[in-house]
Amino acid sequence: MRCSKTAATIFVVAFISVLSADCQSSVYKKKYVMGTVFEVIAYDDSPQRASAAIDAALREAVRLDAVMSNYKPDSDLSRLNRPAHFHSQRVPPDLYRVIAESIDYSRLSEGKFDITVGPLVNYWKSVMRGGQSISKAELEKLRACTGYEKIVLVPPDQVEFRSPCLQIDLGAIGKGFAVDRMVAILRSKGLSSAFVNAGGSTIYGLGSPPHESGWRVRLRDPSGKNAPELVLVDNSVSTSEQTAPDLLGTSRAGHIVDPETGEPAVTSAAVSAVARTGTASDALSTTLLLLGPKKSAPLIQDTAGTAAIWISSTGDIESVTNGPHISFTGDTRSNISSQSTHVERRGQNCSQYGN
Amino acid sequence: MFAIRKLILVLCLVLPSVAWGKVFLRWTQDVIPKDLGVNALVFPCASKGHSVVQKAASEGYRVYLECSAQEAQTIADAAAKSGVMGIIVTPGDSELSQVNLAVRRLKAAHPKLMFLLLNPNAIPPQMKGTLVINKDGVLHVTSPTAQPWLDTNLALVKLERAFRPGQAPLYSFNWSTGAAAGTQGPDVSDYALAVAEAGAFRADLVLSVHESLQRGLANNDGQAETTWKEIKTYLRFYSRTQRDDIPDVNVAVITDEDSASFEPINLLARHNIGTRVLRPSRVNRISLEKMDVIIGFSSLGGHLLQMVSDSVAAGKTLVIVNAEGKAYPWHSSEARKISDDSVSYVLGEGRVIELKSPISDPETFARDIRGLIDNGNIQISLWNALTTIGVLYREPGSENKVVELVNYAADPLEVQIRVRGEFPLIRYESPERGCCEAISPVIRDGFTEFSVPSLTISGRVHLQKTKSAHLNTLPRA
Repeated sequence: MRCSKTAATIFVVAFISVLSADCQSSVYKKKYVMGTVFEVIAYDDSPQRASAAIDAALREAVRLDAVMSNYKPDSDLSRLNRPAHFHSQRVPPDLYRVIAESIDYSRLSEGKFDITVGPLVNYWKSVMRGGQSISKAELEKLRACTGYEKIVLVPPDQVEFRSPCLQIDLGAIGKGFAVDRMVAILRSKGLSSAFVNAGGSTIYGLGSPPHESGWRVRLRDPSGKNAPELVLVDNSVSTSEQTAPDLLGTSRAGHIVDPETGEPAVTSAAVSAVARTGTASDALSTTLLLLGPKKSAPLIQDTAGTAAIWISSTGDIESVTNGPHISFTGDTRSNISSQSTHVERRGQNCSQYGN
Repeated sequence: MFAIRKLILVLCLVLPSVAWGKVFLRWTQDVIPKDLGVNALVFPCASKGHSVVQKAASEGYRVYLECSAQEAQTIADAAAKSGVMGIIVTPGDSELSQVNLAVRRLKAAHPKLMFLLLNPNAIPPQMKGTLVINKDGVLHVTSPTAQPWLDTNLALVKLERAFRPGQAPLYSFNWSTGAAAGTQGPDVSDYALAVAEAGAFRADLVLSVHESLQRGLANNDGQAETTWKEIKTYLRFYSRTQRDDIPDVNVAVITDEDSASFEPINLLARHNIGTRVLRPSRVNRISLEKMDVIIGFSSLGGHLLQMVSDSVAAGKTLVIVNAEGKAYPWHSSEARKISDDSVSYVLGEGRVIELKSPISDPETFARDIRGLIDNGNIQISLWNALTTIGVLYREPGSENKVVELVNYAADPLEVQIRVRGEFPLIRYESPERGCCEAISPVIRDGFTEFSVPSLTISGRVHLQKTKSAHLNTLPRA
């Protein structure tokens, strides 16, 4: 594992007066896991304790990768994906739990969130890499393999697939789940101020940095016009965005597939979803990208502590909140500014994104 | 006896082509430890005549001074007399192209001294996260799941090779701009990655050694010596790099030395697309012969346009960037709109794609270029290797190939590789595991597929058409 000191150094410079007053040091570490870079910054009186806690948290991410990866042939998920068709398989508790939570989100979103779209995602990813397209009928055949309702959970730890070709892909929730477990470990090791980043797509702010109200996060804005910001305090934000179309306009593929149509979502918007856990924000971000702001409002209303913002490539914004406040540059306040769900619109064209 | 004679004969054949790896250590301490694992030390220009320079030379090190072009001119005669092997010329505020000219003049005026032009604009190699930190504290920018960003010097090396062909690319960087900034300086894996990257890319590196490590080594500090022992594993490994092998590429990038082409070249490298950078004046029919795709960042005209058109007409693909407002002969044929920003034309057996604007998204551009190469012509593909760069070389005078691998995550990975061509014999060597392990390939549809079981920081794969004495004589760990 490589420990980079740049971030910590710059951070120390930025808060030099604060740190000398508090005697708190920051420790920064990163690790390549789950196909991306996980980063953790933590403040603590004892840099050794912070360092050991971060190491333990990163080890947990590596352990969970060995459980949830569908790239690794010997992962628990890969082992489940092979023989679980029409008879139940025992799985480790973490895998059972993340599948159970995924099914909850599938029900909540009426199927827009679906961990069984893996075969379709793989197909469209292969198209992006220049692979052959298949016929409509073949695509329909692939789509018939999917459907979260074909997963049967047999408590306390068994899973069965009611389809001969169903495959689970935890790409839309796994990193969020890992982030929550990492945060739990940091807490259990006595840390109260830390920032966990899973490749930019799911991040969690534990407590706040010294003398700050929370962890400032700038949200993805494909237009670069709005600079939306959020302050995280014991909550998480995740961002989803469809793969950029190729410059030659030769492929309509993308990695976010609408389970309803079996085709890549056609949207140039980025959506950021705020929630109390990484699992929730990760699952919600993909779902809300597919649903668009109007259809998302009831879902957000049902889930306390959530908010979402959609920003188009031309800079149009729509946001829905059930608590957390998303500000724009120069307007950073507490992230809890409202308890009611409302839709806020900015820009000239309040279009709806997603399908 | 016969075997020994055979071995000596083979070594005689092999050794002349194996040069010392060129890592120059930038040294600032007065005490020079023995056996640093390199044979070239670089001292500041002001050290000329200092005892440390003479001491280094007397201990068998090749001593270089690092000077500006102006300083080099002033001290060249005296330096030659004091046992200095050469002068590494730094451009300072001047353009590299201007200093290049000055270096040529210096070489002519002082034939006994070696003059090397240093590109100081390299970056410390590293795998980066996505955190952005500014004056107001941590400010993280969210994104869809980001592939690890690699700070790599491969694009710089390719440009150096094209624009300063008279010497091997020579670069340096400042650790303070990278992950290893701070009072303790770089750790072993940072140094190892720097050495591995330069060796794998066949470039020369002036490596700064952190003050604290230099002091430790000068004072025989046990911890510093342990650290350096690990770094020496990499220095040793890359000191026996085959330096005359040839990058095996099928994408040509025609560009003037401008900033607009740098990031696209960087991302092409990042996607393991073998590219050769060609300056417009150096393009010839032979340089385009083996290319499948030609990318033009420069305006094409006159003889260059004719050569490129002929190549395309023979079945290649030409991509012209920032083509708006330019007139080309193929405009007389029918244009097919492929997106708001791009049109294509048929030209003989080939095609021309014109992108109206400069490249705004180099990542997508690199993916597109890969998509333009027929699957059967993709030279090298890596899987489960988002933190790895693989560079393919051809051994001169044979059909054997070498893949140099650099893993910027510096954590062990199992990397799957596919190389065009059929290579029944594969061996893998690495600084960490020594030389050599046999790897079983799968040969399918004209490609060779294999897995490197545990790539930590770097490694080298030898692919052979047939068994040869050379591979069997590679040193054992």
